[in-house]
Amino acid sequence: MGEEWKGPLRKVDEWRWLIPRDYKKGMRTDGLIYASERMIRDIRKDQAPEQVANVACLPGIVGKSLAMPDIHWGYGFPIGGVAATRVEDGVISPGGVGFDINCGVRMLVTSLEEKEVRPVLDRLLRVLFRNIPSGVGSEGRISFSVSELRKVMEQGAQYIVKRGWGLPEDTECTEEQGAMPGANPDKVSQKAIERGKDQLGSLGSGNHFLEIEVVETVFRPDVAEMFGLFKSQVVVMIHTGSRGFGHQICTDSLNVMQSAMRKYGISLPDRQLACAPFNSEEGKAYFESMVCAANFAWANRQLITHWVRESFEEVFGKSAQELGIRVLYDVAHNIAKLEEHEVEGEKAKVVVHRKGATRAFGPEHPVLPQRYRNIGQPVLIPGDMGTGSFVLVGTERAMQETFGSTCHGAGRMMSRSEADRRSRGRDIAQEMEAKGVLVLAESKATLREEIPEAYKDVSQVVEVVDRAGLSRKVVYARPLGVIKG
Amino acid sequence: MKKFEIIDHTADIGLIAWGRSMEELFANAALGMFHIIADLRGFESPKKDFESEVNLEAGDYEELLVNWLNELLYLFEVEKVLLNHFTVESVGRYFVRARVAGNRINPKEHRILRDVKACTYHQAKVEEVRPGLFRAQVYFDL
Repeated sequence: MGEEWKGPLRKVDEWRWLIPRDYKKGMRTDGLIYASERMIRDIRKDQAPEQVANVACLPGIVGKSLAMPDIHWGYGFPIGGVAATRVEDGVISPGGVGFDINCGVRMLVTSLEEKEVRPVLDRLLRVLFRNIPSGVGSEGRISFSVSELRKVMEQGAQYIVKRGWGLPEDTECTEEQGAMPGANPDKVSQKAIERGKDQLGSLGSGNHFLEIEVVETVFRPDVAEMFGLFKSQVVVMIHTGSRGFGHQICTDSLNVMQSAMRKYGISLPDRQLACAPFNSEEGKAYFESMVCAANFAWANRQLITHWVRESFEEVFGKSAQELGIRVLYDVAHNIAKLEEHEVEGEKAKVVVHRKGATRAFGPEHPVLPQRYRNIGQPVLIPGDMGTGSFVLVGTERAMQETFGSTCHGAGRMMSRSEADRRSRGRDIAQEMEAKGVLVLAESKATLREEIPEAYKDVSQVVEVVDRAGLSRKVVYARPLGVIKG
Repeated sequence: MKKFEIIDHTADIGLIAWGRSMEELFANAALGMFHIIADLRGFESPKKDFESEVNLEAGDYEELLVNWLNELLYLFEVEKVLLNHFTVESVGRYFVRARVAGNRINPKEHRILRDVKACTYHQAKVEEVRPGLFRAQVYFDL
């Protein structure tokens, strides 16, 4: 395990901890971690705060090097890290996005209540498990030609809807409308195409899952109503990303960045922070290929949505429309975005890196769909498998403080071998069933590595961002059934 | 001499490998990575149904090692093979030339443990700890 971090953390208030910029040479700004006093003790247990300080060294960083309460030790950037860089003279870093480009979550709402789903839950899970490929190296059910794949890279979820696998309103309620501009398929390597072409429309493995949940607690009834959420309502959470396609694009780009760093004379404390000026050839190529992977991920979640609809139709014998299956929202939590924010009193275009962080735009933001314009963006926070999810709403405070960003989930706090030791001899699926959560998994080993106690308590994470004003709790949904790769 | 050792990391997994030469070091690191990916116990079958050449260049040894492991990961995912035989012919300044072999994945026979997304540069290190003993360290994103 990592050593305990001994650096300075100055308490700003109950939810904010500052790493002053004079802590180490090369820091261009302060670091700021959002956490409670209790969580800070855990955060200090490894070198994640050092990574917050390292990110503060990135050329062209504006504002502070930020970390959300689900912060944990990552590569280069901490998981839970947010950093904005100036477009004109700042850098873009593939390490600030991560390997699973546009890993994210989508929540589908239904008009069904728990009492209607409980009796058929077992069958519903089996049908979903059959219809949605999952597991290590899982492959999708539809094969896409290279020219179709180029359309996926450019048009993302919108292309999938055009092909008949979804409704136009699905993409309206997706970040970037499911198709982020700026994609350039010519910048994507043949290797990425080879690795990704069969994986579109698959969940994958690791911490990815699909969960059927029921809204248990409503914290803000007015907002819940505007989101179309109500107590006892059944919802579906889809957590996956760009699969091998995105992993390969990140791998290829990090490779290019190693020489770009030498070329542009950039020196940083950690090689995994490798970056290039946003306006350089290498920086642009990374951004354009990253957008391709982001769009691939939105297409992936869209295809899965289609199969969720089909599965519900099969089990309930009614159309998806009659069952009220609609996309609440779809958010990315590993991405770099070109956004306009206020920097030192002036509007500026910046590159916002969110690595294990969620966009949380507040009310009246022009990019939000009409439906949510007055109230702010739905923010979806999954727990680990089998602990349920929170829906929050974005705030003006997040716009001012964190470039419109908030936390993304629970955050791992136990290594896999420790999880393995603690789960030895236990039947995790059976334990979860005893708690009322049905589990279907491709691999028992994955289940044991992903035991709930390996993760931070998501409710504590959400409490911090709520209290700090970065986003407000709307509902909590408890799990009924999980599909796991 | 131990060939490799798997190390703990909060979110992911690390690997330390040893070798009496740079070639052996690269082969052992590759073997270690495939032990993270799959349960290779009893997987010593001499019959190989996949073979490939790997030739890579990089800016330094760390970059070379990371590239080497990522290349093998690519073969694993695209060719759907478990590699367990690495003939590293030459590791130079800064290139690697090797032949790798293994078996096509058969779900009945092979137990795949986890999805390794990539080998990272995070604390990547290749060093000669004493004359004739090389050590490498890398972390994988899972």
